[in-house]
Amino acid sequence: MSRFFQGSDSESSSDEEEFALNAEEEEASSSEESSEEEEDGDDDSSSEEEGGKTGASRFLREASDEESESDEDKVTVVKSAKDKRFDELEGIVRLIENGEKIGDWNAINDQYDKMNRQVPTLMRDLDGKPPKMYIKTIAGLETTVMEAFEKQKVTPKKMNPIAQKGLNALRQKIRKNNRDYTTELEAYRKDPGEYMKEEVVEETAPAPKKSKKSLLANEDSLDANDDGFTMVGAGGKVMVYTPESILKHLRSIVESRGRKNTDRLEQIRVMEKLLDVAVTEYQRIRVLLVLIATRFDLTSGTGSQMTQEQWKLAQQEINRLLVILEENHDIIVVEAAEEWEDDDKLPTITKGELFKIPGSVVSFVERLDDELTRVLQHVDPHTAEYVERLQDEGALYTNLVRSMLYAERLQEDTRLDRSKDSTNRVVMRRLEHVYFKPATVISKVEDDTWKDLPGQLDSKVTPRAEHSDVASLVQKLAGYLFANSDGIIRARAMLCQIYYLALHDNYFRARDMMLMSHLQETIGSFDVSTQILYNRTLTQVGLCAFRAGLVYECQTALQDICGSQRQKELLAQGLQMQRYSQITPEQERLERQRQLPFHMHINLEFLECVYLTCSMLLEIPTLAQAGSSPDLKKRVISKSYRRMLEYHERQIFTGPPENTRDHVMQASKALAAGEWKKAAEFITSIKIWDLLPKSDEIKKMLESQIQEEGLRTYLFTYAPYYDTLGVETLAGMFDLPEVKVTALVSKMIHHEELAAALDQVNSAIIFRKGVELSRLQSLALTLSDKASGLIESNERVLEQRTQGTANAFERQGNTRGRGGRGRGRGESRGGFRGRGGGGGSDRGQFTGGALGNAIRAQ
Amino acid sequence: MADSQPTSASEMLNGAQSQAKSPQEIAKEHNLLPKFLPNLDRHLVFPLLNFQEEETPEDEDTTDIIQLKYGLLKQTNMSDFVGDLYAQLNNLSERPQEYAQKREEVLAQRQKHEEETEKIQALLSDADVVGNLRADKVSNMNFLKETHGVTPEMVDQLYAYGQFQYTCGDYTSAAELLYQFRILSTDNDKVSAATWGKLASDILTTNWESAMEEVAKIKESIETRLFNNPLAQLQHRTWLLHWSLFPFFNYDAARDTLTEMFFSPAFINTIQTSCPWILRYLAAAVITNRNRPGGKNSYVLGNYQRQLKDLVRIVRQEQYEYTDPVTGFVKALYVDFDFEEAQKRLSEADEILRSDFFLVAASDSFLDAARHLISESYCKIHQRIDIKDLSLRLGLSAEEGEKWIVNLIRDTRVDAKIDYKAGTVLMNHPPSSVYQQVIERTKGGFFRTQVLSAAVAK
Repeated sequence: MSRFFQGSDSESSSDEEEFALNAEEEEASSSEESSEEEEDGDDDSSSEEEGGKTGASRFLREASDEESESDEDKVTVVKSAKDKRFDELEGIVRLIENGEKIGDWNAINDQYDKMNRQVPTLMRDLDGKPPKMYIKTIAGLETTVMEAFEKQKVTPKKMNPIAQKGLNALRQKIRKNNRDYTTELEAYRKDPGEYMKEEVVEETAPAPKKSKKSLLANEDSLDANDDGFTMVGAGGKVMVYTPESILKHLRSIVESRGRKNTDRLEQIRVMEKLLDVAVTEYQRIRVLLVLIATRFDLTSGTGSQMTQEQWKLAQQEINRLLVILEENHDIIVVEAAEEWEDDDKLPTITKGELFKIPGSVVSFVERLDDELTRVLQHVDPHTAEYVERLQDEGALYTNLVRSMLYAERLQEDTRLDRSKDSTNRVVMRRLEHVYFKPATVISKVEDDTWKDLPGQLDSKVTPRAEHSDVASLVQKLAGYLFANSDGIIRARAMLCQIYYLALHDNYFRARDMMLMSHLQETIGSFDVSTQILYNRTLTQVGLCAFRAGLVYECQTALQDICGSQRQKELLAQGLQMQRYSQITPEQERLERQRQLPFHMHINLEFLECVYLTCSMLLEIPTLAQAGSSPDLKKRVISKSYRRMLEYHERQIFTGPPENTRDHVMQASKALAAGEWKKAAEFITSIKIWDLLPKSDEIKKMLESQIQEEGLRTYLFTYAPYYDTLGVETLAGMFDLPEVKVTALVSKMIHHEELAAALDQVNSAIIFRKGVELSRLQSLALTLSDKASGLIESNERVLEQRTQGTANAFERQGNTRGRGGRGRGRGESRGGFRGRGGGGGSDRGQFTGGALGNAIRAQ
Repeated sequence: MADSQPTSASEMLNGAQSQAKSPQEIAKEHNLLPKFLPNLDRHLVFPLLNFQEEETPEDEDTTDIIQLKYGLLKQTNMSDFVGDLYAQLNNLSERPQEYAQKREEVLAQRQKHEEETEKIQALLSDADVVGNLRADKVSNMNFLKETHGVTPEMVDQLYAYGQFQYTCGDYTSAAELLYQFRILSTDNDKVSAATWGKLASDILTTNWESAMEEVAKIKESIETRLFNNPLAQLQHRTWLLHWSLFPFFNYDAARDTLTEMFFSPAFINTIQTSCPWILRYLAAAVITNRNRPGGKNSYVLGNYQRQLKDLVRIVRQEQYEYTDPVTGFVKALYVDFDFEEAQKRLSEADEILRSDFFLVAASDSFLDAARHLISESYCKIHQRIDIKDLSLRLGLSAEEGEKWIVNLIRDTRVDAKIDYKAGTVLMNHPPSSVYQQVIERTKGGFFRTQVLSAAVAK
C-alpha cells in the first residue's frame, strides 16, 4: 500500500521534472503539450514502479515518448484522438501493474482484455507494429503470471476463488495472445535494452524526416497519374485509385466484410470514388455490386433501419446497375457464376458472348424492399416522415419492375439455363406491392413507372401496351406465378389475387377461388407470413361479402379472425397487449418484425363494427327463436358477441352509446324488442360507415336487413301471444311491402320455423296452438336426433375405412348435405385437389383462419 | 395449370370444333348452343343444328344454320352432303366438282382401309377364334400373334378405319370397328379414345343401351386413369356431362342412373366449376322425375325430395353465375317463396323447353310437375286459398283450376276441403305429432345398424 502511495507521489514529482525536460526538447504547439505531459508522466510513473526489472527504463520511456510524438507529426489531423488512445493504454498498463502488486488477478484480467481491444487501433497508428510499451507489458505479465501460477501449485488454497479464476483466464489468454507477437517478444526478451534502443536510433532523426517522407509519397503519386485521386488512407498509407487497382481495392473491401472494426462508411466513400474512376462497364458493375451490398451492411442489426439518404443512394445505385445491364447485353449478373480471380487484369468481354458476374439483382431489390418495410414499421404512421418515406415506394416499385424485366430477359435467353426462381421472386414482390391497393392508385403507380422506364423496355408478362388495364395486372402477375411456380409462392399469389378481387367487390370470384385453392386445409403448414396473408385475405373476403349485403357469408368468413379477440396478432397489425402473456422477448421481437406497415392495414375498428353488426343480424333472431327451449340455446353463432351482449345486459344503467360496440349493443337490444327503427338508427349513426366509398348504399342495405330480421324476431318473440295477425299490419309495422312480408312468412312456415299458416282470403297469418313441446318430448326428439347422428357417423367411418367400396352407404352418405347452406357435401372422391380440378364441393363456407399458430409455432 | 394434355380422340375432334363456331350470334336468349359447341363432337352437334333448323319458322332465313352446318362438316368425309350444303349456300344447282373428286378419294381410302383390316376382321368374326379369346388382353394378343400372325399394327389399323368410318357418317360400322379394336388393343390412350368414339357412334345410332355402358366405362376411366391430372379430369367430366345429355332425355331407363351420376360430388363440382348451364337440364330432370312411373313408392319419393333439396342448394349457389327461367323457377319457388315470380318463370321456362333439343319431349311433363310443386308448397303454407287465385298462379282457368285442386286433393291425399260457396279451399294442417317425428327419425335406424354390422363383419 505504502508503495502505491509512494508511486503516486513520485508521479507528480516526476511530472514536473519531465515537464521541464520536455519543454526544452519540444517545439510542438502548446495545445498539444498538456496531453503530452500527462502521457509522459504516466510513462514515468509506471517505469519507476517497475524500476528494478528494466534497467534502461528511463531511456526506454523516452523512446516511447518520442515515438508517439513522431506519430503525431505524421498524421496531424487525428492527433488528439490518438494521444488519448496512448493515454488510455498507459493507464491500463499502470492498473495492471498495480494489480500485480496486490495480486488482484481479476482486475488484471479485465484490464488485459481492455488493452487487447485497443491494440489493433494503436497498431494502425504505428504502421502495423505493436506499441513497444504493450510488448513490454505483456512480456512482464507473462512471467509474473507464470510465477504466480507456479507458486499457486506449491501452496494451494491461498488465493480467493475470484482471483483464482481471473488468474486462470488470464493465463489462457496470454498464452494465446502472445503467440501473435512472438517475434517482438523474442526481440524484447533477448535484450530489453537493445529492443528499446532500436527506437532511439530511429529517433535520432525524428519527426521531420518522416513527415517529409509522406509528403514525398504524396507528390510521387500525384505525378504518377494526373487525373487520379490521392488519399491518405489509414495508417498513413497513400491510397491511389486507378482503374487498374479497382479490383484489388474491391477485394480488400470484400475480405474485410463482416469483420469487426471496419469502417463501412469509409469503405463506401472509397467505392464511390472508385465508381468515378472506373472506365469499363465491367468495373462499374463490380464496384456497384460491392457498394450496394456494403450499403445494406450498414444496418445489419435488428434494431436499426436504413436512413433515408442511404436508402435513396442504394436505390439509385441499383437503378444505375440495371441501366448498365440493360445497355450491355453481353454482361449479365447471375447467382451462379465463376468469380474472376485475377485482380491485375480485366477479363476480356467478347461481343455476342455472355460474360457472367456473380451477384443477384433480384436479391438487391428484395433487400431494398425489406429495408423500406422495416423503416415503415418503425416510423410513426401519423407523422409527415411516414408519408415522406412512403413516397419512396414509387421509386422502389420502378426498380422492382425494372429488375423484373431484367430477370425476364435472362430467362428468355436460351444460352442460360436458368431456373425460374428469381423471376418468380421478383414477380411476387411486385404483386405484393400491388394487391392491397385500390385500382386508381395502382394505375397511377403503373403510369409513373412506365414513364420512368426507357421506351425500348417491354415485358412479356405485363406488356407495356396494356399497363393502363389495371384490373388485369394482378390477374396477369398471379397467372404467371400459377403457371411457373409452386409451393408457397403459388399459394401467396393466389391469396394476393383473391385479396385484390375481394377488395374490388368481386365477391363470388374471390369466394370461388378461395374455395378452389383448398388453402384452408393446408394453411397450417405454411410459414407465418403466409398465414398472415391468408388471414388478411379471409378478412377482406368477409368485408367484401358485407358490402355485397351477404350477412351470413360475411359473418362466417370473419368468425375465426374476429371471434378470437386476437385480431391484431392474426393480421399482424400491432402487438396485442396481453396482461398474462408468456411470450419471451425473442418471440416479441420476431412478432415485431412481422408487423405490416401502416398503409397496408385493414381498419380494425371497421372490422369489428362489421363483425358485430353481422353477428347481431344473425344472433338476435336465433335468440328469439330459441326462446326458452334448452337445446336451441346452445346454438351459438358468435361467442364473443354473446359475451358482449350478456355483459351489456348486466349493466344497470346504460348511457347513450359512445363507441361502436355500444352502438351495436343498444341496437341489438332494440331489435330484440322489435323496434327496428330504433335499431336502424343506432346502427346507421355509427360514424365509421362514412369511411366506405358507398356508405349510403351500405346504410340502406343494413336498414333493410334490420327490417327483415326485425320482422322475424318479432314473429318468433310474439307468436305465442297472437291467434291471427294481419299481413297488412305487419307490413305497416316494419315498413315493408306486403309481398315481402308474405314471402318472409312463407319461408318461415316452409322451413317449419313458425307454426302457422297463411289465410289467403283475409291475408292474415293464423298461428297454430298447442305446438309447444313438453320437456320430455323435446328431449326425446334430441335423443332420436343423436341416435341417427351416431349411425351416420358410424357409416361414415366405415365408408372411409373401406374407401367407399361399401356401396350400401352411398345413399345415406348423400343425405349429409341437408340444410340449404351445404357444409361441404361429402369429400370429393376422385382426388380432386388441385386448383384446376377445383371442386366447389364445400362452397358457401370457409373454415379455419390460420389461427395464431404464428405465435405458438415458434 | 395449363397442362391440358391431348389424350383422346374426342379432344382431337373437339379441337377443331372451336373453328366451327360461327361468328353469328344466335339471337335467341338462353340458347345454349354456343356453350354446347365446344363440348360436343361435331357429329353430335349436327342433330342440334337440324333441330334448330326445323324450329326456325319457314319465312326466316336459315342460311346461318346451313353455313354453320357447312362449317361443321367441312372437315368430315361426308363429301356428298357437304357438297350439297355448299351448293345450297352458294345457290348452285349441283355440287362443285371438287366434292366429287373428294368423294373419289374417300372411297379409295376406304377401300384401302378395308383391305388392310380385312384379315383381322375376318378373324374376329370367326367363331373359333373368338371362342379362344379370354379376358386378358395381353394373352389374347399373344394368342392371335402366334396362331394367326396378327401384328399390333393391324390392330391400330382397325382404329384408323373406325375413325374413318365415323367421319364418313357410317356410325354403325364405326361402333363395331372400335369395339373390335378395344378388345385387342393394349394402348390405353387409344382405348379411351375409342371408347369416346364408340359412345358418339352409339348416340348417333340411338343405341342407348350400349351408350350407357360406354358412359359408365368413361366415367370409370376418368376416375382411375386421369387420377393425377385434375384439369384433364375436369375437362373430361365436362364432356361426359354434355354427351350424356343425349341418353339422359331420350332413354327413359337411363334417367335415374344419370341423375345419380350428375349429383355425385365429382360431377356436381364439374357443373359448378365449368358448365353451370347443365343445371337447366338437371333441374328439368329432377322436376320431371316426379311423375314418373314408380314414383309413388316411398324410397323414390324420399330420393326425389333429397334431389330437390340438393338442386335448390346448387341453384342458389350458382345464381350469380348462371340463371335461366328453369333455374329461376326453382329459385323463385324455393328460395324466395315468391309464387307470382314462380308462375312467370314457369311460363318462360315452358317456352325455353319447347325450343330446346333435349327438353322438347319433356316439356309437358315438366309443366305438369312444376304445377304440382307450386300447389304443393302453396298448400303447405296456406290455410285458406282462393281457388281463382290459385288457378291464376298455375296458369289455368278457374274451372281447370278447380279440377286441378280436386285431383291434387285426391292424388296427394292432402287434408283439404272445398268451400264451394266462397270459392275457397280450406287446408287442414294437422300439426305433425311429436310421436310421429320421433318415429320418423328412428325408423331406419335398426335396418341401417344391421347393414353396418354386416359390413363390419365382412
